[in-house]
Amino acid sequence: MTFQALFTLTDLRIILRETAPKHDLDDKQRVETERLLENLERQVASLKQEMLK
Amino acid sequence: MRCASGIEARQVDELAINIDPIQTGGRLTGDAMKAVIAYGDGYSVCDNCRKPNRLDYISKPPIAEFHNDVAAWLNMDAVRTVPGARRGFQAVAHTYVRKGDPVLLTSLSHYTEFLAVEGAGGIACEIPANDQHIVTPEAAVLKIEEVKKKVGRLPVLAFIDHVDYQFGNMHDVKAIAKVCHQYDIPVLYNGAYTVGILPVNGKDLGVDFVVGSGHKSMSAPAPSGILATTTERAAEVFRTTAIIGDVTQRKFGIKEPEMMGCTLMGVTLIGMMASFPHVKERVKHFERELENNRIVVDGLLSVEGTKILSEMPRKHTLTRADTIGSFDKIAESHKKRGYYFSNALEEKGVTGVIPGATKIWKFNTYGMTKKQAVYLAEVFVDIARENDLPLRV
Repeated sequence: MTFQALFTLTDLRIILRETAPKHDLDDKQRVETERLLENLERQVASLKQEMLK
Repeated sequence: MRCASGIEARQVDELAINIDPIQTGGRLTGDAMKAVIAYGDGYSVCDNCRKPNRLDYISKPPIAEFHNDVAAWLNMDAVRTVPGARRGFQAVAHTYVRKGDPVLLTSLSHYTEFLAVEGAGGIACEIPANDQHIVTPEAAVLKIEEVKKKVGRLPVLAFIDHVDYQFGNMHDVKAIAKVCHQYDIPVLYNGAYTVGILPVNGKDLGVDFVVGSGHKSMSAPAPSGILATTTERAAEVFRTTAIIGDVTQRKFGIKEPEMMGCTLMGVTLIGMMASFPHVKERVKHFERELENNRIVVDGLLSVEGTKILSEMPRKHTLTRADTIGSFDKIAESHKKRGYYFSNALEEKGVTGVIPGATKIWKFNTYGMTKKQAVYLAEVFVDIARENDLPLRV
């Protein structure tokens, strides 16, 4: 789960690189970013559950 | 934000368009970044190292397969990974050059090629580039004949850069290799700016060695690179150890002296491996990179007085610009002197130009999106406008 979250953040990092310097996301990038952020939230929630149980 | 005490988190490529001439082709792919996270520990790729205990035999992670794939991709017979192209130069020079041997380089060769020759005790004999900064086969013939006459014997090795670091110009390695082979001189193809950037076919080029840089052109962490060769030359440069300890009688299996045994034992190799599928794909689309380069070059040339010193039309994205007749004129009277230019670029989200440079400087457009190329071209025009430099209509 730790890796999944880190890898999701890495995918977000790549979007930041591809859109530098203004980070104006096109429709496709916006959809992808939303998907990644939702995944990340789920992954962080799972981490909380697993590590703090 | 810091990674650790005194170490700032590096966000250069997240915050700006990076046009540093040596950095663009080495930026990691997302997969390489992920692999780096997982394999950061020292000997991380060695968990499943089994007899005969050599890096290029490890099958999990698939390092052996990677070596075979890289050899096939370059159309060569054998490959080793090395800690940077320079260590590939060094291995080959150390194998073939003895004290006082003449070695062919060019007037555009990288300094590490000179150091490799020096380390082996050789003499540097440069094939001069012509007025267009191109190294030709005709010049190679003249140089070989000159060396033969002056030194009394032929060069023992030739280092030829396909694309040079000074102008990003493309040189006819195939024709130069043909000339060298007519004199029985083995040829090392320096692909530091090509392997991982555009298609390279070693057998078609007729070269004995192909050297590539992982951190310069294969989206891999530094220091990394590859040395590829033919079956015949592999027996020489990748010869195995024969040394025996006089007290312990120890032998060292199939370790290779020129490689100092195993080479890239962790994050460098795994990063190169993770990027490799993307690198194999991207070389097929180099034309897109040239199109982005054309957009940026056109933007620069629209500022009156600007010249491109590299060959035109561009065959590579590494480009040398002369702005003595344009941006440098402003530097003469600007309170920030030449720094006004790099500062203006930074303010607009562009990085990688040497701070203070306004006369002759290099940039590389490799890896940017078309949108970024268009933006970068506009940035150069905007800086010209803001400083009342005339534009070509």
